[in-house]
Amino acid sequence: MGVKIDALKCVGCMACEMACGYHRDDGFAFLSACIVAYRGREKKDYFGVLLKEEENLVVARPEGLEVKRIGAVEESGGEKKQEDASAKPMLLREPCDLCEQMPYGPMCEKFCPVNAITVE
Amino acid sequence: MEYLSSDKILIVDLTASRTSEDEVNGDLVAERIGGAGLAKSLYEKYESDDPIVLSTGQLTGTLYPASSLGIISARSPRTGKLCHTPFTLTAGIELKYAGFDYVVIKGTSSNPVYLWIHDGVADIADASELWGRDVWNTTDFWRKNLGDDLIQTLVIGPAGETGSDWAQVCLNYWTGGDRFGIGKAFGNKKLKGVALRGMGLLEIADPEGFVDRCLNLLTSLKNGAAAGKQGIGPVCAAMGHPEIQDWLASLVHRHKACYNTPYAANTFVYLDEDPTIRTEPKTDEPGLLITEPYSLIGMHRLGLSAEQACRLLRSCARYGIDPVAVAELSEKAGTKDPKAIEEGFATLSGTPTLPGSGVFSPCTPLQPVFGDFGISGDPSGFHGWWERRQAVAYIFGIDPLFALMSPEITEGNLLELTNVGAELELSQETLDAVIADLME
Repeated sequence: MGVKIDALKCVGCMACEMACGYHRDDGFAFLSACIVAYRGREKKDYFGVLLKEEENLVVARPEGLEVKRIGAVEESGGEKKQEDASAKPMLLREPCDLCEQMPYGPMCEKFCPVNAITVE
Repeated sequence: MEYLSSDKILIVDLTASRTSEDEVNGDLVAERIGGAGLAKSLYEKYESDDPIVLSTGQLTGTLYPASSLGIISARSPRTGKLCHTPFTLTAGIELKYAGFDYVVIKGTSSNPVYLWIHDGVADIADASELWGRDVWNTTDFWRKNLGDDLIQTLVIGPAGETGSDWAQVCLNYWTGGDRFGIGKAFGNKKLKGVALRGMGLLEIADPEGFVDRCLNLLTSLKNGAAAGKQGIGPVCAAMGHPEIQDWLASLVHRHKACYNTPYAANTFVYLDEDPTIRTEPKTDEPGLLITEPYSLIGMHRLGLSAEQACRLLRSCARYGIDPVAVAELSEKAGTKDPKAIEEGFATLSGTPTLPGSGVFSPCTPLQPVFGDFGISGDPSGFHGWWERRQAVAYIFGIDPLFALMSPEITEGNLLELTNVGAELELSQETLDAVIADLME
């Protein structure tokens, strides 16, 4: 069972991020969420969702899903390339545990207002 | 205030170039609740210094649906009266998570400055280099030089700097809900804007009780009148302008919601890229985000094509001028050439209409949108209902447009959640008194 994200349905509201933060901190905060609304390219209207799993970083972009193995070294144009420093804040977070101890199940799924997140 | 609050008020004295902090007084919360209710008290306390008060509601930045709202309260250059205007997207929550529920900006700086509020720290920084830049360049500058692409900005452009009565406080890059010329008030203080970023934590008095209730409310909203709809087009249609949706359709890229808001009311249009592409666009500035309906309706009435209208809206955003006023005054002047309209931003004159009583920004439809609130008849008779609905949204921190869509969000529910989340004992009588005071 895992979290599945449809980035095209996503409206970038960050409810998933806050719900996950609540699960982690028992308060309202964004810092420790393992699911994050990716919204750094505002002028381009290019947004999606990042999810940190135990071994993978799931990048849900509008054009499709990409699953990156954490710590893996990619070959790019003949060069070896590891995650750059900007990935560090995400990689330091706890991985998704499907909100094991929450009565609701995965909080991000429950609080997504447009059903862009499902659990399969 | 221990819960749902940063418990801090930031006082910024621009004249003395000094900041200080105050606690959020529990007695004042019991009397004024929060948001615009409490901001009005702060405004009156510092009135001799012509303050601008930024505030958040008790529920802003929580899991309560549509809790996206931040508020600017100040004397409107257009009306001369205290008014309240919204800032949404994610700027409202960024203020609270930056460590302050309220910010009082008083006095006038001798040179251009901006405020950088982040993680409980507030800096008054020199903006000489930014004075004269447009809204987009300024937000780009802050995000690059302060080192964070997620910084949210309340910012003015040339319109605010040069004292236009229709200067807006823009959100990041986009025109927003300021219909009261607060951009001019920023400019008069030599305040280029406010940059916000924070990663704070809000404690909850009864976490499970609060979140349970939020989830129940969200579930009913997902089955409500707004379900299945997206974007600014259906909002225009609900206002009696169904033609806008088809007119705009060929430019629409995606729709975007304000923080935790179940309706994605903001529509992004592409002007310099194919709107159907889903990959990252090649150009850095392919279009713009439309955040309210009146500017579109006004531009459509000028007889412009959707592309002409949106290019003009983008120019308004860069210049930091209210596009609704631009459209109406251009129509009155008989100016329908987009280039001539843009060239006339600096000399725009006239008296555009300002619906409502001048307390809350008429950037939202003055009528129910989608939802059945049990009122009917001539929409011109809805003003009293609209004013109260906006007052409630501005007190608790709820998106003021979504408040017009969702009869599920009731005054009783807002009071209950605030009491559960913040361990308060607020009553309907208190809320009635705060609303009455705001409407005075």
